[in-house]
Amino acid sequence: MTVTRPETDADYEAALRRMKRQKAVTPWVLLLPALVVVLIFFGIPTLYMARMSFNLHIDQRLFVPGFTFEHYFDLFANPLFTHAILTTMVLSLMASIFTVIIGYAFALLVWLKPMHWRLMFVGLALCPLLISEITIIFGWWMFFPKNGLLSYALLSSGLVTEKISLMYTEFAAFVGLVYLTLPYCFFILLSIFDGIDKRLFEASQDLGAPPVTTFVEVLLPLSWSGILVAFSQAFIWTMGTYATPSALGPDTLWTMGFLVQEQMLGKQNWPMASALSMALVLGVTVVMALIISLRSKQSSFHV
Amino acid sequence: MTKETALELEQVRRVFGPVVAVDDVSLEVERGEFLTLLGPSGSGKTSTLRLVGGQDQVNSGAIRLNGKRIDHLPPYERDTATIFQSGALFPHKTVAENVAYGLRMRKTPKSEIDQRVREVLDIVQMTGFEARYPSQLSSGQKQRVALARSLVVRPAILLFDEPLSALDLSLRLQLRAEIKRLHDELQFSAIYVTHDQGEAMAMSSRVAVMKRGRIEQIGTPQQIFQQPANEFVYKFIGESSQMPVRAHGGAFADMVGQPLDLHLHEALSDGYWRLYVRPSRLKLAAEAAAQPNRLQAKIQFIEFLGDVYRYHFKAGALEVFADHAGAIGHATGDVVEIGWQTADMERFR
Repeated sequence: MTVTRPETDADYEAALRRMKRQKAVTPWVLLLPALVVVLIFFGIPTLYMARMSFNLHIDQRLFVPGFTFEHYFDLFANPLFTHAILTTMVLSLMASIFTVIIGYAFALLVWLKPMHWRLMFVGLALCPLLISEITIIFGWWMFFPKNGLLSYALLSSGLVTEKISLMYTEFAAFVGLVYLTLPYCFFILLSIFDGIDKRLFEASQDLGAPPVTTFVEVLLPLSWSGILVAFSQAFIWTMGTYATPSALGPDTLWTMGFLVQEQMLGKQNWPMASALSMALVLGVTVVMALIISLRSKQSSFHV
Repeated sequence: MTKETALELEQVRRVFGPVVAVDDVSLEVERGEFLTLLGPSGSGKTSTLRLVGGQDQVNSGAIRLNGKRIDHLPPYERDTATIFQSGALFPHKTVAENVAYGLRMRKTPKSEIDQRVREVLDIVQMTGFEARYPSQLSSGQKQRVALARSLVVRPAILLFDEPLSALDLSLRLQLRAEIKRLHDELQFSAIYVTHDQGEAMAMSSRVAVMKRGRIEQIGTPQQIFQQPANEFVYKFIGESSQMPVRAHGGAFADMVGQPLDLHLHEALSDGYWRLYVRPSRLKLAAEAAAQPNRLQAKIQFIEFLGDVYRYHFKAGALEVFADHAGAIGHATGDVVEIGWQTADMERFR
């Protein structure tokens, strides 16, 4: 490309505009390969699943091509499904809120501690990421039952008088879900904290704000976007996950993830499983849209 | 006019591990006084300021503000306000919200807050920027807002923590003059921490020169400049040509033992001496002949600094520099006579 020296002001401004246009296009060009991969491996299967959810289900055949809203209607009419949707929402919501609270406190602690502590805490937080979800579930199986670690710990500390089992309870499923998403929450929040100038707390206290006021006035607004991102990742994950709640929760804990599995493999009803999955996708999309709209007003402060 | 003490530090000490950052410092700031803590980095000036502001706690000693002990109060209960080096403006609040912050914390009525914010923004010449966010301001504007945010609460003392050191030179000079003007107008009490001696001289009622956690000398800028208490203060305030010499029986040699063509009006006792003269007080060539103290030296190189030429000389191992308005008609390599008045020379041994 030849570069010509702009002769007039108008030429110069045209050159500036060209540069700006190029700058606007660059990110999209860089994004293209990733975009193609995402579209092929996530977009097409999702479209296929969307189509599947409208197929017919006749006589235990996996699916019969056709078009019906029956499965979506079922989603809201059949108490089995409505109950599952509600259960999943409540469980995910509670687990996500709890995860964000613990993750926030933990990340805040690590951020405020001197640097040499940091490596240890970050290492600790990385540990669960080295192990697969299934292996972690095996770990919980040694923790929650009657002869598990938790039971012994409670017994020897004198909090209970007889061995107890928390295995296959909603509490166990809840703890499992929190544990699953906590490391991600921690790292998201820590990265947000790292962008905040600690001098701001000194300034706030210097101007007469006690610690609690400083937290509400300064730290909370500045970490708000991190809280939203951490919450949304926890919520999306816990909504869709199947293994942890099924393996740790009671038989009666029917989450959407569990029902998708059951409709797909147990009842051989692919269209119904697809409809449930679509409901999950749409639900998560709505939550994401809500969170992004909450976030856009806040994110501009991180400069 | 009776003088009232705004702030008093009594034997204040702060130790970080093996380092004594603030070593039994005692000083008083009178009401309306602008006191500067001046020193190189690591001299304990910022540590001292943080003890006053409450960002750090004393190990021993007492700090009194308007007669009341404050050294064990948390920062939010002290009637001090700090202007930080970075400004430390709240990025999620507008200029007006930033400035109103301290007043809100003091439960000031809304109407009064609005009025005082307006007034103080007018004082720092930031009217019209109320709705901007800090990220939309230049670094100089940020420091103006930081100043307004601290001024508006009318603290018993303002604490400046090198507020100008991150700015470029012209802006620094401009804001320095402006802080000086504000002090003349509002007569607030202040401690100003800086390592820039020019800043200290220009702004202060009094200057305290610090070194290794101790105050070496405290006095008006004139006293510090004209009657330095010791060699450290003399060297730190203003530029000077240093001449380390050895005197022996009325003759002089440099530190390697080479004889120097140096003539002093007053005899020095035998031994090692360090002589200092400000570069502007050194006379050159023809003007030097009439001076009571003279040195023959060779011109090494010449710098043109705009108002003056700066001549760098070498005599034996001595390196001397002198400022002269206009060229003296000698070039690099010429041997020239340098002369000075006895009163312009400081000697330490």
